[in-house]
Amino acid sequence: MDSSSLQPLLLFVQSLISGILVGGVYALIGIGLTIIFGVMRIINFAHGDIMMIGMYLTFNLFTLAGVDPFVSIAVCIPVMFLFGGLLQKLFINRILNALPQNQILLTIGLGLIMSNTMMLIYTSDYKILTTDYSSSSFSLMGISISQPLAISFIITAVITAVLYWFLMKTDMGQAIRATAQDRQAAQLMGINVKRMSIIAFGLGAALAGTAGALISPTYYIFPQIGSTFTLKAFVITVLGGMGSVIGATLGGILIGIAESLGAVYISSGWKEVLVYVIFLLVLLFKPSGLLGKSRM
Amino acid sequence: MSIFGEIIGTIRRVSPLPLLTFLAVTGALLLFPPLVDSPYALHIMILIFLSVIMGESWNILGGYTGQYSVGHAAYFGAGAYTTMILMQFREVPPWYGMLAGIAVSILTALIIGSICFRLRGPYFVLASIAATEILRLTALNLKDFTNGAEGILATDIPPLQFGSFLVTDFTTKDPFYYIGLVFALAVIAVTWIVQHSKIGYCFQAIREDQDAAHSLGINPSLYKNLSLAISAAFTSLAGSFYAVYIGFVDPTTVLSLDMSVQIVLICIIGGIGTIFGPVVGALVLVPLSEALRSNIITQGLITAGLVNEDSPVGQFLKENLAHAHVLIYGILVVVVILFMPDGVLGFLRKILTGKRRKAA
Repeated sequence: MDSSSLQPLLLFVQSLISGILVGGVYALIGIGLTIIFGVMRIINFAHGDIMMIGMYLTFNLFTLAGVDPFVSIAVCIPVMFLFGGLLQKLFINRILNALPQNQILLTIGLGLIMSNTMMLIYTSDYKILTTDYSSSSFSLMGISISQPLAISFIITAVITAVLYWFLMKTDMGQAIRATAQDRQAAQLMGINVKRMSIIAFGLGAALAGTAGALISPTYYIFPQIGSTFTLKAFVITVLGGMGSVIGATLGGILIGIAESLGAVYISSGWKEVLVYVIFLLVLLFKPSGLLGKSRM
Repeated sequence: MSIFGEIIGTIRRVSPLPLLTFLAVTGALLLFPPLVDSPYALHIMILIFLSVIMGESWNILGGYTGQYSVGHAAYFGAGAYTTMILMQFREVPPWYGMLAGIAVSILTALIIGSICFRLRGPYFVLASIAATEILRLTALNLKDFTNGAEGILATDIPPLQFGSFLVTDFTTKDPFYYIGLVFALAVIAVTWIVQHSKIGYCFQAIREDQDAAHSLGINPSLYKNLSLAISAAFTSLAGSFYAVYIGFVDPTTVLSLDMSVQIVLICIIGGIGTIFGPVVGALVLVPLSEALRSNIITQGLITAGLVNEDSPVGQFLKENLAHAHVLIYGILVVVVILFMPDGVLGFLRKILTGKRRKAA
């Protein structure tokens, strides 16, 4: 695509839309992190690495069984849910009352184990998952839209809607929200908070894994990709307000837009700097985030 | 009261036995290179010294002042890059580069500190990571200045000489060994002074309860920034030493999140807030990680007959285990946090005192 021939307005709309599409997946990663934080007050530094495992799962399903990456979500969600639940039961559960710094270090350690185990199995080579639609795009009112990004955005929207419904309308969703609001009070009301924590971590991992599956046709797959997305997930959740699901959705889309506009109007090398500068500014001037109520 | 008076006062209070042990170990370390004539052993020792400097520097901020920075790669990288850029592009000897690096690091520390110290707990951790990522991306993007992702390779190190007297030309590992040893001892001494001086008490008061310390007249932001400046200066020293010894810097090694994490882990695994915790951490981590890197463990498994060399498992371990030397950091930190929250040193102490109690 020759960007110089585009009208300035068209270029703006074009990058805005691709930002929103990418932001949808970012939102999914952010929502996972925010649910875990909301229920357990733990910042999961292994979040990007869990996403990376989702990517490799999708990659394997594609290369070994020929499963389409978007279809592989059906496998990814339950597998990653179990993986997350197991992580919570074996590790996170033991440090719920430890110092925050020790909680952070434990999840960092778990992330290191995940990324290095994957490196042991798959080496640090970049893997590419090429589907026949990986680089195809369609045109809508003169704006070209990447096909894999559009599909992943639609799937993201459906998953987010189902998740809202689950959290708002079902008994279990309400129990999870009650645990997030006040762990002790929830326990007194007869809610099994330990079970809710396992479900919350499972949900968070499933969302991260799904995000991994969704981006696998458009990103390089390698064991160290996690830390970039962990940091991105922090930026998204802090921007939206720690613990707020709607905030994380909004934050994800905003960061997607900021990156996309930054790449066009500043340079692709500096776009991530822009993201971190926004992050520091939010931390300094509105630490509760756009939609969060309190700092903790 | 002058700072020197305070330092002399604290030195007078040292009990003789630990001091003698310390001097004996130092003496043995001084005699190590001529006695053990192995470049590989020296290499491991140099890496241990480097880890000790990194761990002890972080300990001053993280262990004694309670500020868990996961962004110390910023200062490590600032030292490494300043030294390297001056040495390679401006032909400034690394000694001056090292001092310049310290100045740059302290300046960076004051800027980062003025932003991050407004935040507490997990938010401080996140801010310190973000600030360091900004530096990494800047180094990656300022290609004219830093060579970008390619990094800078040192072609030759100017020899150290006083007038016409040549001290060393850095062709062997010996000078690096002694420089590393001196730096490591210096940072241990500084940590000791921090633990026993009035400034150090202020640091520890902030760690225990910032609000209480504030109400007792300790200015938290002054002492936090002071602690960060000391910590950053020595981390920068480690960075300069690393740059000259390894002879190569690039953003993905010296300024990465992995580097920041590694610095923290040395301290956490050994024992946080203790003088010899980082030393223990370095003694545990470096040999283990090097054993994985150099395939000693795989060779050991094969010679012990546990794994057949020609079997798929043997081949797999031989090819891949060397790449996963960071795995050991992950496993160790999980084990330490779950089972020995006071680090290896604290765990050993607990076992020893437990035994003593049983005997009594």
